[in-house]
Amino acid sequence: MNSDHRASPSEVLRPKNVGAPIKRTEDPRLLAGSGEYTADRKPDRPLHLAFLRSGLPHARIVRIDTAAALEAPGVVAVFTAEDIAGDFKPVIPFSRMPNYYATPILPLASEKVRYVGEAVAAVVATSRYLAEDALELIEIDYEPLRPVARAEMAVADGAPLLHEEAGTNVLIAREFSKGDVAADLGVAAVRVRGRFEMTRKAPLAMEPRSYTAEYEKRRDALTLYTSSNIPGIVRDAISESLSLPGHRLRVVAPDVGGSFGSKGSLYPEELLICIAARKLRRSVKWTADRLEDVSSSSQAFAEIVDAEMGFDANGVATSLQADVIGDVGAFSIYPWTCGLEPVQVVSFLPGPYKIRSYRGAVRGVATCKPPTGPYRGVGRPISTFVAERLMDMGAKALGIDPLEIRRRNLVRAEEFPYRIASGIIWDKTGFIECLEAAAAAAGYEQLRKQQAEARRHGRLLGIGIASYAELTGIGSRIAVAPGMPINTGSETARITIDSTGAITAAFGVASHGQGLETTLAQIVADDLGARFEDVRVIQGDSDEVPMSTGTYASRSAVLGGGAAKHASKILREKIKRVASHLLEANADDLEVTEGKVAVLGTDRAVSFKQIAKAVYSDMKTLPIDAREELTATYTYDPINGTTAAATHIAMVEVDPATCFVKIHKFVVAEDCGRIINPMIVDGQVHGGVAQGIGAALFEELIYDEEGQLLTASLVDYVIPSAPEVPLMDVVHVESESAVAGGFRGMGEGGTIGAPAAIANAIADALSPFDADVSVLPMTPERIFRLMQNAKFKAKEKSND
Amino acid sequence: MKPASFDYASPATVEAAIEALVASNGEGKVLAGGQSLLPLLNFRMTRPSVLVDLNGIEGLSYIEDRGDRIAIGALTRHRDLEHSPLVASRLPVMSAAMRHVAHLAIRNRGTIGGGLAHADPAAELPMLAAFYDARISVQGPNGHRVIAAQEFFVDALTNCLEPHEIVVEIEFPILDHDGWAFEEVARRFGDFALASIAVSVRRGPSRLEDARIAVMGVADTPLRLKAAEAELVALALDDEIPERFSEIVVAQVSPNDDLHASGEYRGHLLGELSKRALRTALAQAERAA
Ligand SMILES: Cc1cc2nc3c(=O)[nH]c(=O)nc-3n(C[C@H](O)[C@H](O)[C@H](O)COP(=O)(O)OP(=O)(O)OC[C@H]3O[C@@H](n4cnc5c(N)ncnc54)[C@H](O)[C@@H]3O)c2cc1C
Repeated sequence: MNSDHRASPSEVLRPKNVGAPIKRTEDPRLLAGSGEYTADRKPDRPLHLAFLRSGLPHARIVRIDTAAALEAPGVVAVFTAEDIAGDFKPVIPFSRMPNYYATPILPLASEKVRYVGEAVAAVVATSRYLAEDALELIEIDYEPLRPVARAEMAVADGAPLLHEEAGTNVLIAREFSKGDVAADLGVAAVRVRGRFEMTRKAPLAMEPRSYTAEYEKRRDALTLYTSSNIPGIVRDAISESLSLPGHRLRVVAPDVGGSFGSKGSLYPEELLICIAARKLRRSVKWTADRLEDVSSSSQAFAEIVDAEMGFDANGVATSLQADVIGDVGAFSIYPWTCGLEPVQVVSFLPGPYKIRSYRGAVRGVATCKPPTGPYRGVGRPISTFVAERLMDMGAKALGIDPLEIRRRNLVRAEEFPYRIASGIIWDKTGFIECLEAAAAAAGYEQLRKQQAEARRHGRLLGIGIASYAELTGIGSRIAVAPGMPINTGSETARITIDSTGAITAAFGVASHGQGLETTLAQIVADDLGARFEDVRVIQGDSDEVPMSTGTYASRSAVLGGGAAKHASKILREKIKRVASHLLEANADDLEVTEGKVAVLGTDRAVSFKQIAKAVYSDMKTLPIDAREELTATYTYDPINGTTAAATHIAMVEVDPATCFVKIHKFVVAEDCGRIINPMIVDGQVHGGVAQGIGAALFEELIYDEEGQLLTASLVDYVIPSAPEVPLMDVVHVESESAVAGGFRGMGEGGTIGAPAAIANAIADALSPFDADVSVLPMTPERIFRLMQNAKFKAKEKSND
Repeated sequence: MKPASFDYASPATVEAAIEALVASNGEGKVLAGGQSLLPLLNFRMTRPSVLVDLNGIEGLSYIEDRGDRIAIGALTRHRDLEHSPLVASRLPVMSAAMRHVAHLAIRNRGTIGGGLAHADPAAELPMLAAFYDARISVQGPNGHRVIAAQEFFVDALTNCLEPHEIVVEIEFPILDHDGWAFEEVARRFGDFALASIAVSVRRGPSRLEDARIAVMGVADTPLRLKAAEAELVALALDDEIPERFSEIVVAQVSPNDDLHASGEYRGHLLGELSKRALRTALAQAERAA
């Protein structure tokens, strides 16, 4: 069920396609098994890679003997770091941030291994089976080093160093501050504090990482098909590393089966497969198996936050301080650096609230685990979890309803643009509108009554609210990751009408489930005046636009969509100019719709096909200087970016017998600006919330004290399946943003709000026990412990 | 994650299958539904020289009424048991338990022989075998023998079969009872159980005349709790009985901590499920009377 609230009606054009629930162009092929993923590529007689991965968390590589593997059936080559030393330059995830140490990205471990799952050697053979057989013949002598399995261990005195050259395990340290937090906390009427943790999580895309490097002998050129959501960044990085210019290195992201951030960095395996293809002058394929995907793709969260919030007697939050330690794993990622996730925790912690004074300090610490990287929501799932827990704890201490305390603290409509205490500027967004819309849709007052009634019967029902704001569609003035040297602030669209009258719109963005083929075509159709079904969208191909970075950080609707709008308008003007010749009419009297140009108020019209013919083929109709090529390119930069916001409300019940949590109701009211396709927005919210439920209740990568991964298969790593994901209500508060088209990014929000809302609901349900909900996921085991401890405390009290 | 290389044999008879196993010198493995074996092959945790596929053998898949017991062929799929009217009427606990076994696609392939041989301590079929005191018929190079369920399961993922033996049939004695319940808690529907209990009773005027109890997920093998059965039968049928029963059951087990749950939590779950199960079984028996 969905309902729409239009905060301010659109005064832009009368759209036909934008705003319509058009079925996704992608779905017929993807659902019928006719999609083409990287692993479906069939280059001529490809070779297959398999990686030998470290079974030790931390060790010096003393000797590698590959002689026996080289003799094994079907084996073409075996590579170690030594064998490829001259074939590439290390890729450095550079940043201008102070107190940051950049660990290089290497295709294979050199001298040391630093986590279980790190690739040490690679076998290239005529089949994956034979390659895996040969892996068993490689002998490696390791000199084990002491593992660093926990962030707290990494910063302890005398801890072994992962990167000796860095001189410390603290790879990044930063502090944000504004105002006098100590003073404000000192005079606060109520102070609440906690130690919050979100454990390590796997992004777990359905398609594991997959690469096919196709070698073209004729030109000594490579095409890398990659399951990446940043093919442009991958192209530029590999071009630099392998000294291959862009016209000999094409990087294509074909159909990609999800990423959630795990395919949003450059990977060692991507480098290695290109090196191997080039050295062997053969095409090479590799697809991670699930074990490799879980144990070597970038992971999420892994942060502990000590935080305190102060309130005045009216429930206004005045002050906030936090110390964050992020367990970033063994390496920085390219290009985002290991600062991406933990630094965003402190930069987003004040959230949508007008907190006066703030201090947020963060350390990102190296441990013997795979790197953490971007994950849907980046930093904000945990910053929202912490801020929203503190907000509820404050409300409880002050005896104010959780809904009311948010009303008192959210930035209000008249206060935008608003700079929060960490420095982020929110542009005009419906914060309060989302809160009120969610409360109305959930029937908040009714839910409270239901809860009171249930509690009388001993049932543990709880209601949780979470409000958040995020920056989306970020332009060139703001770095997606702090201090990064690459430009992530612009995207290009190139729209062409060819000699048959067909329309092709090419982009550098790289949809991996978002449905951009559909939404970008909707925009082009409206702004060009074409029919939706006549627009073909090409994306994720480095040959199509000169520069691009890809799809991440909820940017593609804003940046790709903005570029589409501008390029469409330029091309529409060209079309009109040609049509005015053909129709012998003034361009101002022409209307372009449905692939035709008509003279207003008449039945005289020419189709795009006729226009194309006049320009390209029929050399008699137009004067030479009127034969403008029917193509337009525009690179759009929104400069700042735009805010998106939502409120999530969950009602849950904790079963005291099983300690399981059941979600009875879940409501999202979100403001993503002008909606391009409501079905796709709903889908993004549903998927995001499902992942948020995973983070809140199920998913946890457990590493033991020795740095071994204990949850390496999907039997042990538990994700929500269909029965665990409830029906949800999505309410759209459509307040237009200031960027082209009025769009806001909305791909990540579901994952940001859901963990906090569910955590607050569980805390509310468990309030008779006065339990601390401070670690996610809240597994049945953790809930059992909380209830046991509470019973134990109650007993102690009555014994006193 | 590709298996090491192996040979493949598809015999047409049990005898030929045994011959193939003997020929492999203990290095071969039987393939039934493949749902547990194939992941092990892919992880290279097992590397048989030959897979002896039972799926080509006729006559190993059946559910047969033999009066006081039901006989089930080793190759009978989980899905057939789940939907069998005969199982539903004569082995109601099995019928109820089958829908908790994994997911539809796995139930379509998985077999009872494979489920028992795999001997997962948190899997329903081994528990059902223990619960019903099933008799497991196996065939080997030295002929045929029948193994009682409680001897069959030796340890987690370990059965008592000799290297060249094949499970061919399982007989489940029918319980002459009037109330029963099956309770299970798993993280998600279809997951292996965190704790589970099956209870069946015959109710007399003031006491229970007979009781049958088995649990899983709380030890290295499924357990039939004979001592608890005797204690339950001795209890008075009053309002306290579910509580007391729960204490009796929990006292019988000492579950270990593992990745999915602590022993303490599993114990707590079992206690809660015991109460629920007995209430259901007693209510049913009362209605039957
Ligand atoms: C994701 C998943 C979830 C699951 N969840 C559950 C669950 O909740 N409950 C549950 O009970 N099970 C569960 N299972 C296991 C499933 O029921 C399997 O089908 C069953 O355990 C094995 O049966 P199979 O026929 O597939 O055996 P196979 O995989 O073919 O064989 C398993 C083992 O038994 C041996 N074997 C097979 N048949 C015979 C025979 N006739 N004689 C001697 N040895 C034999 C094989 O050599 C092998 O060692 C799950 C499996 C999966 C993959």
